[in-house]
Amino acid sequence: MLTRREFLESAALASLATPAKADQPLRIAMITTVYRYLSHGQHIGDRFLVGYPLNGAWHKPNVKMVSLYVDQRPEGDLSQARASEFGFTVYPTIAEALCCGGSKLACDAVLIVAEHGNYPRNDKGQILYPRYEFFEQCVEIFQRSGRAVPLYNDKHLSYSFEKARRMVATSKKLGFPMLAGSSLPVTWRLPDLDMPLGAEIEEALMVGVGGSDAMDFHGLEALQCMVERRKGGESGVKAVQLLEGNAVWEAGKHGVWSWDLLSSALSRSDTPLGLTLKDGRTQDLVGSGVLPSLVPHPAAYLIEYRDGLRASLLMLNGAVKDFNFAARLQGGRRISTQFLLTPEPNVTYSACLVSKIEQMFLTGRAPYPVERTLLTSGILEACLTSKVQDHRRLETPQLEVSYQPPVESQYSRM
Amino acid sequence: MDSGTKGRLKLAAIVTRYFKYSHAQHIVDRLLDGYGWQGSYHHPPMDVVSLYVDQVGPDDLSRERASRHPEMKIYPTIAEALTRGSSKLAVDGVVVVGEHGKYPRNEKGQTEYPRYQFFQQIVEVFRSSSRTVPVFNDKHLSWKWEWAKEMYDTSRSMQFPFMAGSSLPVTWRIPSLEMSLGADIQEALCVCYGGVDSYDFHGLETIQCMVERRRGGEVGVVWLEAYRGDRFWDALERGAWSRDLMNAALCRSHTLTPAKPGFNDIFPSVDEMRQMVRDPVAYVYQHADGLRCAMLLMNGLVRDFNFAARLRNQPRIFSTQMYLPMPDGRTTLADFFSPLVFHMEQMFLTGKAQYPVERTLLTTGLTAAGVESLYRNQARVETPHLAIHYQPRRESMFERA
Repeated sequence: MLTRREFLESAALASLATPAKADQPLRIAMITTVYRYLSHGQHIGDRFLVGYPLNGAWHKPNVKMVSLYVDQRPEGDLSQARASEFGFTVYPTIAEALCCGGSKLACDAVLIVAEHGNYPRNDKGQILYPRYEFFEQCVEIFQRSGRAVPLYNDKHLSYSFEKARRMVATSKKLGFPMLAGSSLPVTWRLPDLDMPLGAEIEEALMVGVGGSDAMDFHGLEALQCMVERRKGGESGVKAVQLLEGNAVWEAGKHGVWSWDLLSSALSRSDTPLGLTLKDGRTQDLVGSGVLPSLVPHPAAYLIEYRDGLRASLLMLNGAVKDFNFAARLQGGRRISTQFLLTPEPNVTYSACLVSKIEQMFLTGRAPYPVERTLLTSGILEACLTSKVQDHRRLETPQLEVSYQPPVESQYSRM
Repeated sequence: MDSGTKGRLKLAAIVTRYFKYSHAQHIVDRLLDGYGWQGSYHHPPMDVVSLYVDQVGPDDLSRERASRHPEMKIYPTIAEALTRGSSKLAVDGVVVVGEHGKYPRNEKGQTEYPRYQFFQQIVEVFRSSSRTVPVFNDKHLSWKWEWAKEMYDTSRSMQFPFMAGSSLPVTWRIPSLEMSLGADIQEALCVCYGGVDSYDFHGLETIQCMVERRRGGEVGVVWLEAYRGDRFWDALERGAWSRDLMNAALCRSHTLTPAKPGFNDIFPSVDEMRQMVRDPVAYVYQHADGLRCAMLLMNGLVRDFNFAARLRNQPRIFSTQMYLPMPDGRTTLADFFSPLVFHMEQMFLTGKAQYPVERTLLTTGLTAAGVESLYRNQARVETPHLAIHYQPRRESMFERA
């Protein structure tokens, strides 16, 4: 995604990044929208304060939260209580948080969690979380201080692909490591399997549930972490289309997405609804033909990749309550798995994510490319644009995002 | 195995009750309606043709199931279910689900599910027909050790394939780990939840399916001692089981009750555990080769089954969660029954038990010994009758890709 000029600048400015000193606790500044029980801010932030389960032990990161900025303090706000208990300061501005009240950057890593809180929605239904604005304020401090530090951005980079693109370009330019995205790519899988690296994928399908533009993002990123492992790696998206209502089933009839893969994905679900709720019975939701009657408002996010791969996210509220993936590989082999979202209140899947964030903070290397989240952010925005433009197919020349996946699987398996 | 008919196998299901989320519903429904399995929707290549339900309550579903599956007929007796109204055995396999229902509870707190009585009626038909077929018995064999042993002995003397037990040994593991065959296990435990004479059995099967893979295989258990209430905490304090292993198991849980308000996932101190776990129960027991195991019921702290073991010369504790997708609000299907049903199908198809019933014979005896110890004021119970020797199956039978 870098222009030549940006690339040259990045080469010139890479020395801005300073790795953390080995033995001292890493100093973290946290920038969040809200810090309330079970908000992303709370369950991600707390793990750096009280530790988290990792590989069969309670892991206490060698970090020190030094400052916190909260944009909103609704009822139930925990920010001041945490600051008092754990000995850090809540600052009134992002700049002060990053500088711990001084004039220069005074932390070794920045944790941005801008999810939850009261923010407006646009006509596409996107919540206008100020992630880009938070990021820009952090970068301003980096530049002013002549030093940049690793930065994590929770969930998608921005509701706007253009802003997201600028965020990634800036991180390259200033040479600081950046990680972003959902916990779905890193949570446990049932079964424990990954897309083989270099697989020739013929078609992929994800089933997700929940609202837009919160849960569809998770579905898209789970899908992306699988398909990016295909032969040649990721080369971007050519066009997208979002269908709703009966058009979703019609598209299935015409082979735009595969009923076979849908059946395979749903075979991994532990949460069929409908008659299962009534009397506990197992159900072949696809084979019985009952599926459409369970889903009053289906949506299909159809993705055409530049290398010809077609993938779909079907949001099927009313059918199931979990996230399941299926793909058909060349030669007819099918693989499928459930991305396990463990129950509240522990939501241990976020511990899987925090271990990746900590890894980047400590090593200065993102364990998987931020371009995954950049592309996913762009796919989501384009799909929601299609939604408000009569569900038409949209060419997406801006989504020419190329990257290679991590060779090692990064999901939880030990 | 030969029923004299070609084509699909015919099964009889003998159950205590059949209502939403009962074991009978989970198991028989999967045989009738199929289930998601290994990436597709699996329709078992066999038919439940007869059903006996011991107690039909207002929440009964067996009649609805029979109306949707006309191939399945409900019979008023076990003998008639097995003979399908004729004079001789007329099925290829029998599924016994003697869990749930109103049955007497004895002074030791055991629910006297009639699994032994069901089994006796089944083998009576086998005898009068001069023919046997494979039998699956859900959960432990019987609340009473002598009866369980008799069931086992009968299956051996009449030479029919016999499988039993919990779904814990065959469900998903998070992470997806198997104990190496021949491992040198120094100590093992399970932290789980539920009641005595109930989920304790599942905890014991969780441990047993792992430790049976140790060097030399299973050689039986020589004593068991239960700890409850304050005595549990005293035992923890003086190391009756390893706190490191207990903590490792707890770190596999997805349902750790937060010890402090406002925190969603925080590791508790022992004092905090004492506040949360009002009635802890431990069964500590020693195998004949010296291996010490502990099954810990910690209601109020977790709602899942977590295993940990220390292996010789391995600094890292081995630990995993035996994952139960639980339809108590977390899921809608108890899909841990799917691997259980798949393995019983395999027994009916091949005529071979998919894992040794001796495992469940031993855990049946351990469950009864745990109840006995609690009944005798937590006295240590010697278990010379549990000198049960067997070898595990080589391949892993738990659910994975």
